[in-house]
Amino acid sequence: MSHASSKVVREVLSSGGGRVGALLLVSILLISIFVVLTFPLDFGTKQWSNPAVWADNPKSAPPVWTSFMSDDPTAEHVILETTTIASERKDGDLIVRSYVLDLDYTSLESPGFIALSMSNFTYHGKAPHVSLFVHRPDGTVLELYHLFVSGPAPGEASPISRFEDTPFRVNLGGEREVISVLSDLYRERHGQTLTSRDIFNLGAEKLLFGVIEDGDSKRPSILPGIYRFRVDFASEDPRDSLHLVKIVVGGSVFGAMGTDALGRDLAVGLLFGFPVALVIGLTTAFAVTTIGALLGIISGFVGGRVDTIIQRTSDVLANMPLLPLLIFFAFVLGQKLVIVILILIAFSWPGLTIVIRSMVLQVKTATFVEAARALGASRMRIMIRHIFPQVAPFVFSQLVFLVPGAILAEAALSFLGLGDPSIPTWGQILEYGFRSGAIYVGFWWWILPPGLLIVLTATTFVLLALSLEPIVNPRLRGVER
Amino acid sequence: MARARKLAIRGVTLVGVLLTVLMLVVATLGATGLSDKMLGAIANEELRGIRQGLAQTIRDPGEIERVVQERREQLTAEYGLDQPWFFRLPGLLWRVLSLDLGSARTLKSFGGSSRVSDIVLERLPNTLILVTSALTITAILGLALGVKLATRVGTRTDRSISYVAAISNALPSWWIGILLLLFLSFQVGLFPSGGLYSTPPPATDLGRMADLLWHAALPILTLVLVTVGGWTFSVRSMVLNVAHEDFVTVARAKGLSEGLVMRRHIIRAAAPPIVTSLILSLANSIGGAILTESVFNWPGMGRLYFDAILALDEAVIIALTFLFTLIYVVARFILEILYLYLDPRVQY
Repeated sequence: MSHASSKVVREVLSSGGGRVGALLLVSILLISIFVVLTFPLDFGTKQWSNPAVWADNPKSAPPVWTSFMSDDPTAEHVILETTTIASERKDGDLIVRSYVLDLDYTSLESPGFIALSMSNFTYHGKAPHVSLFVHRPDGTVLELYHLFVSGPAPGEASPISRFEDTPFRVNLGGEREVISVLSDLYRERHGQTLTSRDIFNLGAEKLLFGVIEDGDSKRPSILPGIYRFRVDFASEDPRDSLHLVKIVVGGSVFGAMGTDALGRDLAVGLLFGFPVALVIGLTTAFAVTTIGALLGIISGFVGGRVDTIIQRTSDVLANMPLLPLLIFFAFVLGQKLVIVILILIAFSWPGLTIVIRSMVLQVKTATFVEAARALGASRMRIMIRHIFPQVAPFVFSQLVFLVPGAILAEAALSFLGLGDPSIPTWGQILEYGFRSGAIYVGFWWWILPPGLLIVLTATTFVLLALSLEPIVNPRLRGVER
Repeated sequence: MARARKLAIRGVTLVGVLLTVLMLVVATLGATGLSDKMLGAIANEELRGIRQGLAQTIRDPGEIERVVQERREQLTAEYGLDQPWFFRLPGLLWRVLSLDLGSARTLKSFGGSSRVSDIVLERLPNTLILVTSALTITAILGLALGVKLATRVGTRTDRSISYVAAISNALPSWWIGILLLLFLSFQVGLFPSGGLYSTPPPATDLGRMADLLWHAALPILTLVLVTVGGWTFSVRSMVLNVAHEDFVTVARAKGLSEGLVMRRHIIRAAAPPIVTSLILSLANSIGGAILTESVFNWPGMGRLYFDAILALDEAVIIALTFLFTLIYVVARFILEILYLYLDPRVQY
């Protein structure tokens, strides 16, 4: 067997296409191993389909590297967080602890959004309250936002915890309080009256990070410099605490591959697609070749009634239109990846069985089989030791050749919206992009990469299968290729 | 005689395919309880209408309940909901087989009819336009290219086309469609983004024709791009297989020109497998149209199948699964017959 496998490797590496295929396969395998080791198994349900995980990301943002290719200014995505108290002072009965986050803002584009998150408040007795201040580079200090943590429920014992599992999160640009603060600022500073509708249309973020230089209220320009966000946590009990303060300044570009309309980091989703595609392709191909070869050998070698039954069954199954049935079953039996793989197996083995049978019929009459039979070898032994090795190269090449078909079939189903929602695949990412109209607004980073990865993975196996052809069909050696 | 027997066996197999598909579909719908749920929903919908109608004329709520209850039992018996699903199965099978496709629950034809046959007949031409024109273009391109390639085996063009052909196996048609939409429709604005006609459609017949062609260009291009590589390659291989035969050598030895040898001897002999694989790909592409039609919002049968699944329309789902299989099976059978008559050597 080791001799055979080294022969396969040598044959694959002897052709250019084979070398490319092998290189791609190794890369896909390495990425898949990395993903399996680092991603949680329930990534799909716990993270990918959970909007809370992606709330702090910009929506439909192109990848970061696109900013190098265009002249339009882009805003960087910045996440600031702290758990340490910067200063503490007494204000009457209250102890005020300040958390400070500094942002050095240099971009010419205003941020897409500014979100404040705070998690895990603990208090004893009276509920604390929180205020958010912004110190702008021009010296103005704005008191932007207040949060009064809800008081204890009747019978609730201290210490009382709030926002322990899911942090408190607010998008500042949409808050009435922020809008009225900004309205005041622009009236006092520039003598401009901005209604809340004006502010909403301009974007509160633009005004918060902006300054009006030429008296045109509709066009604030960005004021660069250090913006200091200060969160004051005021409470009566010295044991009270706030665990984490986080400010997210939404960028106009994000990550290596951008984000989708829910703010999901596409790079993460695309990475997770690697092992999933491999599992779909390899599981289906292994099962189909095993069943197909086994039944083909039995059918061809045993003959008689067994042969007839197997041949009639595979004739019927092989003549069925695959895609309509696949859609139908995926729809009726539920959108589970396991079911899709089982259906693919159920309708794919017959093709292989028919071919293997005809090969076995030829091999069966060979003298070495006759000799083995004459020596008293059992039927089982002849099938395993004499017939199988003859068809093995073909079976192996079919194993490789079946992988892309399975991957493409699953991708097609996912594209029709029938993918397994608990396991994100490339097809599903593409489907969501297509359904939400990403191509009509030109969100290419959402559409191109998943499709390219599907094609790349499928091509890998096609190239490998091509390079294996001389083994299967020795006449091809040096004749056509 | 032997020939007829073989054909009959193939025919029986293909009818078996048709029946198996139908049984699978109906049994799956029944066993998963989906059939009961869908029929129940239809009955309830009808009862709601009746109750509303009665409320106008009858005052006594008890009386209304009694009438509705009576009607409910009637409906339950009518739809066969009082029996387990497998008792309804033979009747349903027979109706579908006799092409009595029933009426759709929610889907309607553009004319407003909810008879499944109306809906399907209205969509069938749209699919046929797409599939046949794509196939014609592919066939012509593939034949011309494939024959040409077969005369230059081993050259760089030949090798690169072989690779392209192999890799086109790995190209999903729907993704190619999306790419074309992204670049040619969105970026460049050369083609519309989907549908059959512009809104509003042009007034003149000629204008409508041109509009249809304009809308069909991208879907057809998609189908051609995905299939032409593989098709060229198989024409090349089939021509090559024949080119090694003795009678070709004889023709050459007679001093016939290369062109004449190719036309009269090689292509004629290679025709049967070429025709059969063409028919096979027609049958396959009707199923594959589901994806292309979804991408381009093309109102054909494939799109209808997808809509029916989304709308949970049992009658349409069964009818279309049946029709897709029927088309496939009929094409396979025509292929068997053609094979017999085109290639006198075939004796099965």
